[in-house]
Amino acid sequence: MKLITGLTAAVLLALSAGGAAAEQGITDTEILLGDVAPFTGPPGLLGIAHNVGVKLAIAEVNAAGGIAGRQVKLVSEDDGYVTSRTIQSIRKLIGVDKVFALTAMSGTGQAMASMPIVKQAGIPAMVPIGQLPAMYEPPINNVFVVGQTYTEGMRQLALYLAKTHPGAKWGVILQDDDYGKALADGLEQAQADAEINIVFETKYARGQKDFASEMLRVKAANVDVLIAGGIISENIGIVKEAEKLSITPTIAAFWPGRVPEVLKAIGPASDGLIGVDYVTPIQSEAGQAFVELAKNYLSEEEVPRINRYTMTGYASTKVLLTAIKACETDLTWACTIEKMQSNPPVETGVMAPVRFGEDNRFSNSPVTIMRADFETLSYSPVKD
Amino acid sequence: MTYLLELLSSGLAIGAVYGLIAMSFAIIYKSTGLLNFSQGEMSMIIAYVAWSISTGTDGNPFIVAIGSIGFAILFALAVERIAIRPMMGEPILSQIMVTIGLSVIFRALVTLLWDGLPHNMELAAGNALVDFGGIQVRVAQIAVVVMLFVAIAGMWTFFRYSRFGLAMRAVASDDGTAQLMGVKTGRVQMAAWAASAVMSGTAGVLFAIAFELSPSLYGLGLKAFPATILGGLDSVIGSAFGGLIIGVAENLVGGYISSSLKEIAGFVIIILILMIRPYGLFGEKRIERL
Repeated sequence: MKLITGLTAAVLLALSAGGAAAEQGITDTEILLGDVAPFTGPPGLLGIAHNVGVKLAIAEVNAAGGIAGRQVKLVSEDDGYVTSRTIQSIRKLIGVDKVFALTAMSGTGQAMASMPIVKQAGIPAMVPIGQLPAMYEPPINNVFVVGQTYTEGMRQLALYLAKTHPGAKWGVILQDDDYGKALADGLEQAQADAEINIVFETKYARGQKDFASEMLRVKAANVDVLIAGGIISENIGIVKEAEKLSITPTIAAFWPGRVPEVLKAIGPASDGLIGVDYVTPIQSEAGQAFVELAKNYLSEEEVPRINRYTMTGYASTKVLLTAIKACETDLTWACTIEKMQSNPPVETGVMAPVRFGEDNRFSNSPVTIMRADFETLSYSPVKD
Repeated sequence: MTYLLELLSSGLAIGAVYGLIAMSFAIIYKSTGLLNFSQGEMSMIIAYVAWSISTGTDGNPFIVAIGSIGFAILFALAVERIAIRPMMGEPILSQIMVTIGLSVIFRALVTLLWDGLPHNMELAAGNALVDFGGIQVRVAQIAVVVMLFVAIAGMWTFFRYSRFGLAMRAVASDDGTAQLMGVKTGRVQMAAWAASAVMSGTAGVLFAIAFELSPSLYGLGLKAFPATILGGLDSVIGSAFGGLIIGVAENLVGGYISSSLKEIAGFVIIILILMIRPYGLFGEKRIERL
């Protein structure tokens, strides 16, 4: 009996040791990563650009000889921004494709819904889109959140506007969901530190396109500073309506829609729009250097798709690949996670250096306030 | 007073968009008994084609109009011939499911053939602002209201005086008897699909000029369908007024009460009216002999 027990224990030990040595997604020639994002429908605007950034970070590493002689490969899954499809895709990537790590889990709601699966699997996973405190408080050992929360971004934006527009009357238009709630929280936090006089505040249902009545109320309230809390189409509607009503409040919008296409769709009225982001504007020196880098590795069809989401995808994947590279001789999940938390700050060129810690899974990247320029369809950091 | 007039003008403009698409729902229902749940998506695809024509040419509005109308007719005829006609005689739920399937396909096609980005559709002076005693309105918004009333007048004349319109009414009333009387029901259906595509396409194009062109434009169909129910599912002209009522109600509620209630305002009106008139404001009560 003792002999059987001893043999069983030896077999189990051997199996577990073997499992640790041959982590999934690793072969002698390649390392397989998985990416889930929306590539179809309106959210494709962010998903396609993000995926291009992930591919860029991988191409850069492969061009430099790969990691320990292995080429990095990517399996991309389109979830269409539908949570059930995100979960299916994550399960497929982990269980069928057997990827070594995840470079994204789509947007905010999708990543939140996928978190239990990822946590249970223990696979290293990055969150470069739609950051929420619930993703890192308390920290999940294998999940790393790169960027900044909407709440903190809103707080910083409001503090800047309060400083530059003392005594102004504020108007706030927010979406009636988690995104709108996060912005409202940020505004509330800013109110504790600065004088913000909100004279008009309203919420709209997601998907609304006509903002005529909201903007008429903004006009009636003589608003000087307007927070356009929409994502893409909504902000286009809000700013175009302000143009129609011939009102010129300082309009501030958030990073989800900080892409050239939105400025183009708004037209000249987009000039002077205030934005906030934790990645550098494309027109900045660092932004231009990023575009030049991208031209070396991406196809002619991919380069025009570059926007802020390309930068966030690139930065996040670069951080992951840096940790994997640091584990050249021990390519395991445990080593990668350990290197993610102990590596020195990773310089990505498009945002502040990214660093995590033993009990910290959030990069807490600083934000920059920027102003839109319609002529160049870009943003540049404000100087005042 | 200016505030109220501004709310009314915006409400009429968006209501006219809903109205044109609502008329498209009604004309197909009236002549075939089918609810086409891909109407919003068809409107979106026609708007994208119009945008492609405008950016691919010098943007001459007549070329864009002729090209878009031509495409709308061919597109609708193709849909009717390939996907709808083979389903004739099948259970109505199966036919409706086909239109729901088409809506999903059309949505995917837009991002495959074009992209997921928002676009500014500049066509002639469509985006320009016109001042009516201090009330600013975009040319495209005026155009959509005008087009709605042209469509109402056209449809009224068509159904009342044209042989084809009478044939359409006959098919709607009893397609079997109409066939026995020599009415070619296939042609009637084709005409209904073509007319509905032209009307909803016009709404999509003018909406895209006044607001933006993006793959979420199909959502107009979801807003217009309740307008059809409000006006009366079998009343093409009633549906147009249903659209205007919902557009104005949304804006008045948003302007005087709360934006949060804006989206439900139209549905509250529909529930109230359907409780009093179950066949809609202008719908006809159907009496079935047993």
